[in-house]
Formats: sequence, C-alpha cells, structure tokens
Amino acid sequence: MSGQPIPFEIHPSSGVPIYRQLVDQVYALLAGGHLCEGDLLPSVRRVARAASVNPMTVSKAYSLLESQGAVVRVRGQGMRVAPKNQKGQASGRLEERKEQFGRLLEPALHRAQQLGLSDTEVREVLDELVHSLKRQS
Amino acid sequence: MIEINQLEKHFDGKQVLRGVDLEIAPGTVLGLLGQNGCGKTTLIKCALGLLRPTGGSATVLGDDAWHLSADTKARLGYVPQEVVSYPWMRVRQVIAYTAAFYPNWNGPFVDELCRRWRLPLEDRVGPLSVGQLQTLGIVLALGHEPELLVLDEPVASLDPSARRRFLRTLLEIIDQPNRTVLFSTHITSDLERVASRVAILREGRIVFHGELDSLKERVKRLHIASRQELPRSFSVPGALRCEVEGTAATVSVGDFDDRLVDEMQTTWDAEVTVHDLNLEEIFVEMHRGNSEFGLRSSE
Repeated sequence: MSGQPIPFEIHPSSGVPIYRQLVDQVYALLAGGHLCEGDLLPSVRRVARAASVNPMTVSKAYSLLESQGAVVRVRGQGMRVAPKNQKGQASGRLEERKEQFGRLLEPALHRAQQLGLSDTEVREVLDELVHSLKRQS
Repeated sequence: MIEINQLEKHFDGKQVLRGVDLEIAPGTVLGLLGQNGCGKTTLIKCALGLLRPTGGSATVLGDDAWHLSADTKARLGYVPQEVVSYPWMRVRQVIAYTAAFYPNWNGPFVDELCRRWRLPLEDRVGPLSVGQLQTLGIVLALGHEPELLVLDEPVASLDPSARRRFLRTLLEIIDQPNRTVLFSTHITSDLERVASRVAILREGRIVFHGELDSLKERVKRLHIASRQELPRSFSVPGALRCEVEGTAATVSVGDFDDRLVDEMQTTWDAEVTVHDLNLEEIFVEMHRGNSEFGLRSSE
C-alpha cells in the first residue's frame, strides 16, 4: 500500500457521486493554483487505494476530465494537466464550466437567503470578492 | 456472467421472489441491496443452483444454475452468509483440504491473505469467532481466483477495521480486468465504495438496477418554499414522496433534471432548493409507503 497522500478528499457516502467529487476537486485545485500545467495527477490505482474506492470510478473521473480538456493522457505516465488556453481557463466547454460554478454557488445563495440578503446585496458581495481576488493576482 | 429471467421462488406457499430479472455483465461489481427478509439470500442461492427456482430461469457462465458443470463451478467463488466448515480441523488443514479440489489454487495469495487478516492457522475451526469464520470463508472462496465471486453479506459479522481490510482486498480483486463480483449487503457505505452498479430488491422484485452514479444523480430531494399557501392538490409528476405543509413542501423525485426546478419555480411561485441524497437516504426514500415508485432502471 502506498502511503503517499492524495490531494483529494473523497466522501463515498455523500449524495454527490464519487467521480463528480473528483472532477470538481481537480477543477478547484486548478483554480486555486495547486495544480499547474504539466503536473501529473496521482495514478488511478493510487487514488483508489488511498481512498478505498473502486478504481473504475477514478478512471471515470479522469476520462471525463480528459474529454473536457482539463488533462491529457500521456502514454506510460498518466494524466497531465493540460496547457491553459488564452483565457487562462481549463478548456472545458463554457456551459459545463458555468454549470460547475453554479453548483458551488447554490448552497451559498441559499444561505444568503436565510441571512435575509437581497439580490442586490448578494451581487455586491460577489462583485467585491471578484475585485479583491483580481487585486491579489 | 449471470442471467436471471422472471425468477420465482415459493416456500410452502410463501412467495419470496416474484419474477426477478437481473443481468450481470463481465467486469461488473454489483451490490445487491435490500431489507432483511426481502429475498437477497434466496436470489443468490437460486442464481448459484443451491435452491431450485419455482419458476423462471437462472444461467451462470452459460450453464443453467441447477445443472452447473464442474468446469463452471471451478470458475465460481461463493461466500455464504453463514460459513459452515469442519470444526475439528485446524484452519491450516481446512485450507489445504479445499485447495486439493482446485488445480489452479493460488497458494502464495492465500498465505498472504491469511497473514493480512491474521487468521490463526493452527487453531481449530470450531472455536473461531463468527468474524474469523467469515474471514476463513472469504479466503477459501478466493483461493482459486474465481472469475465470478458471489458474496452474501460478506462483512456483516466483521468489525469495522476488519471490514475495511476486507474492502481493500475486494478492491484489489476487482482491479483485475473482467473480474465480476456480486455481493449482497445492507451496509450502504460499503456498497458506495466498491460497487459500480446497484440492484435494489424489494418484496421479491428488483425495483432498481443501474449505475450507482446515475442513481445518485437522478434521485434528489427538493425543498419548495412558496410565497403563497400551496394547494392540497399540490403534486409533482414522478415523485417518490411528497409532503406539503402550508407554504412549504418536500418532494423526492426519482428522475431529476434542471428543467423540473424551473417549472416548479414558475408554477408554484416558489424558491426550490435541491438536495443530494446518499445511497442510504435513497434506500429509505424508496422504502417509504407502499406505492410503486416512478423509478426506471437505467442502463
């Protein structure tokens, strides 16, 4: 058993399918700069062993990432993070990337509603965040 | 690997299986899920020719289940719910005795499993704990590296750490191509780790068979908060369950898509939040009430 840690946190008993969790986490690692162009993803077997999940599920996630252009399969090496395109984004379909972002926002918007924030106030918070992130980078 | 068609089984007039259809393709890891007494063990025993079906048919590796050839039996591994062995023999002797039946017995692999699972080789089988006995049953079923492995509640009597060790080994086994596994359980979290497909047996019928991922993607719980009182007639097509109270409703649907949310938002002037359900929650949703649910099996 390889004792190397994997950069994923997998919850098999979540309502989100395991392959989805992996895909979302890879995009999150890319967005956060923790995975960069040319980095190698841990092998399917290593992820499956470390998380005690079916290797087929991990393969499914990696294949999906490949079809979305986020990673490239390199013979004999595994999956490498694909070069960024001009917009500085992983090159999945825009619809898919938007959808994924929407899924992340959904619980936050629900909470905003509970906190009694208006639509305008929510947008203000979002704008501020976008600006402060831009200043950092 | 296994083909089951309209399988029925009665015991003294009590109908346990009511026309089960189930097909298991090579390389599949199928988790058979169901409440106690729903017929899981009966189904497995009929599929392996250990019980004679009252109606319908079961085929394993091309053979009729009731007439399995020696060749087919050698390609099968089976761990019953209650492992029966020879109480007077030592563990080491039972293993040697079983190995003698199989020309392709993998001795080093078995030694490795015994070490990993700390099986006391020199102890007699009689006084072993239920968990140790089950572990022995699993080792005996794996020794000839069967193409098709069938496990009836394999981890029911194991403690959590032994269960995790067993799951690890099972994952190693299924990592080899074209290894097919059928296992029954009511422990949904094990199934979520290991299985690629799930079949849910309820009252003698398969009520769902398909990919675990697609099940989780399709079954969702929706919370509806309307700006006005919801009518008594409030309903959602294809709902597994629907509860209405004042301006709020909770609905579980078996065939979720985003359009449904848009539709509900406009029809009922409501905020709709979508909640993911894990397998345990889905299982509970499917066993509420006695309605036939609107859940189609998927391919």
